[in-house]
Amino acid sequence: MSINSNIYELAEGYLAGSLPNDEWLKLKDRLAADAEYATEFYEITDLIRSVEDNGKQKRFRSMLREVHDQQTRNPAKKIKLIELPAHIWRTAAVAASVAILTSTIAVWSLRPSIKQNNSQYNTISREMKHLKEVQARQQAQQAQLIENINKNTKPTPRSSDVKYTGTGFALTNDGYFVTAYHVINDGSGDGDSVYIQNSEGDYFKASVYSFNAKADIAILKVEKKGFRFGKGEVPYTFASGKTSLGRKIFTLGYPKDDLVYSEGYISSRNGYEGNAQQYTLELPAGHGQSGSPVVDEHGNVLGLLTGISGAEEANTYAVSSKALLDLLHTTLPDNMLHLAKTNKLGKLSRDKQIEKMEAYTFSVKVYKR
Amino acid sequence: MYGAENSEQQLLSALAEGQRAATEQIYRQNYHIINGWLIKNGGSSADAADLFQEAMVVLYGKAQTEGFTLSCSIGTYLFSISKHLWYKKLQRQNREPALLIDIGAEEDERGIGIRYDDDVNVHHEREAHYNMLDSALDQVGEPCRSLLKAFYHNDKSMQEIAADFGYTNPENAKTQKYKCLARLRKLFYSVQAK
Repeated sequence: MSINSNIYELAEGYLAGSLPNDEWLKLKDRLAADAEYATEFYEITDLIRSVEDNGKQKRFRSMLREVHDQQTRNPAKKIKLIELPAHIWRTAAVAASVAILTSTIAVWSLRPSIKQNNSQYNTISREMKHLKEVQARQQAQQAQLIENINKNTKPTPRSSDVKYTGTGFALTNDGYFVTAYHVINDGSGDGDSVYIQNSEGDYFKASVYSFNAKADIAILKVEKKGFRFGKGEVPYTFASGKTSLGRKIFTLGYPKDDLVYSEGYISSRNGYEGNAQQYTLELPAGHGQSGSPVVDEHGNVLGLLTGISGAEEANTYAVSSKALLDLLHTTLPDNMLHLAKTNKLGKLSRDKQIEKMEAYTFSVKVYKR
Repeated sequence: MYGAENSEQQLLSALAEGQRAATEQIYRQNYHIINGWLIKNGGSSADAADLFQEAMVVLYGKAQTEGFTLSCSIGTYLFSISKHLWYKKLQRQNREPALLIDIGAEEDERGIGIRYDDDVNVHHEREAHYNMLDSALDQVGEPCRSLLKAFYHNDKSMQEIAADFGYTNPENAKTQKYKCLARLRKLFYSVQAK
């Protein structure tokens, strides 16, 4: 290995302290003589060190979760058997064992998109689950000192056991789909496995292709080769701009194991705190419906559900399809993903529209590693 | 196991190396304290689990620093950091800047100067940095994303990776890894430059 060999290999050896002496001397000379090379070299060592430390911390975090589970496990909550294919049994076992307790605790959040970075530590997305409680608490709290808060703590299942669920819908028939980012990422960003469960109850593993955390959109693909959601191309199309106030809409989602339909209208052009990438909807929605498609009467997808807010959960918010298309165009190669050009839902009655859409709408489940 | 005869410093060194027994011991000795405190202060058990684990990560991060010593007991440190993280979190949710009262003075009965704020800030900065790294990693494309994750996050050897990813030998996998690092670097530093 000469001094001209791979700078990454050198950086790695340098960090590990495993460079042979003569190489180390050569490297030192070059770093001293060539400022440009030195800048590059130290940028690379910084990068490798960061990636290594990040990995170490992730392993430590997952060990913590294991230790926690081990030390707080309550023998009363024994295994509730849920049928899953064997290949995911291992990862799903813990989650499944408490699924009955947690099935109503899906992530249903209003991610505070105002926050600039993603630096919220990994409790943040979990605390979203408690958004309602938290908001109620906040209102009660306003004039109080923190120390005085001493009220209604609802019993919540341990978050380490929580299985996140949401809804996703197909972008293309060959496996690309979209859901809300907060469904798949709890802030720790790693170690979770994402599966979809279709209306027939079959599970398929999926991986993330692209996302915009701020807009709360994630694009994933079912990993299985030759996978198809349904018989033909997706039956709906995507609205390229924002649509008008008052338009009637409906949504399909999985707040429970069965597909649920609800309808409403667009009640405000912008979303949470005036977010122009969103709509505000008059639409009943609940836990597990994050990521559900928002569709108009003619079968155009206008957006996907992202959160609810307010007393009585009065407001429902959806990320606009425009934000989704922007993400597709900016982060994925042009020819990777072909959205359907023809809408097959336009002239159908509502029940037929739902029937057509069913194969392309599914539950998204996230299991802790 | 680490008995009473083992000093806290030994426990910390073991924690820094990510040793499970040390982690378990610290967890067992301290978790219920934070849990109890948080329940009394308007949090849930789920919050307590998150909070305590976050405090453990702060301690773990701090223990990585060379020549690191704690000026107080591990228990006191974890409790202080947990409180601090919790108040910060409430403050963020409320957007009520006045809420972060000076808990340092209150806790500092024995005159131990624990610099919670610094530690917590360093921790948050590091998390932000890791998050950026993770989003760069998510955009690096396959097979790089999986390969780098396998090596750096899951601690797999180049032999295992070569086998898993279908490279003829570890050397080829290694070459690929360097290419992937080059791509990651491009993404990461362009993100940072913005």
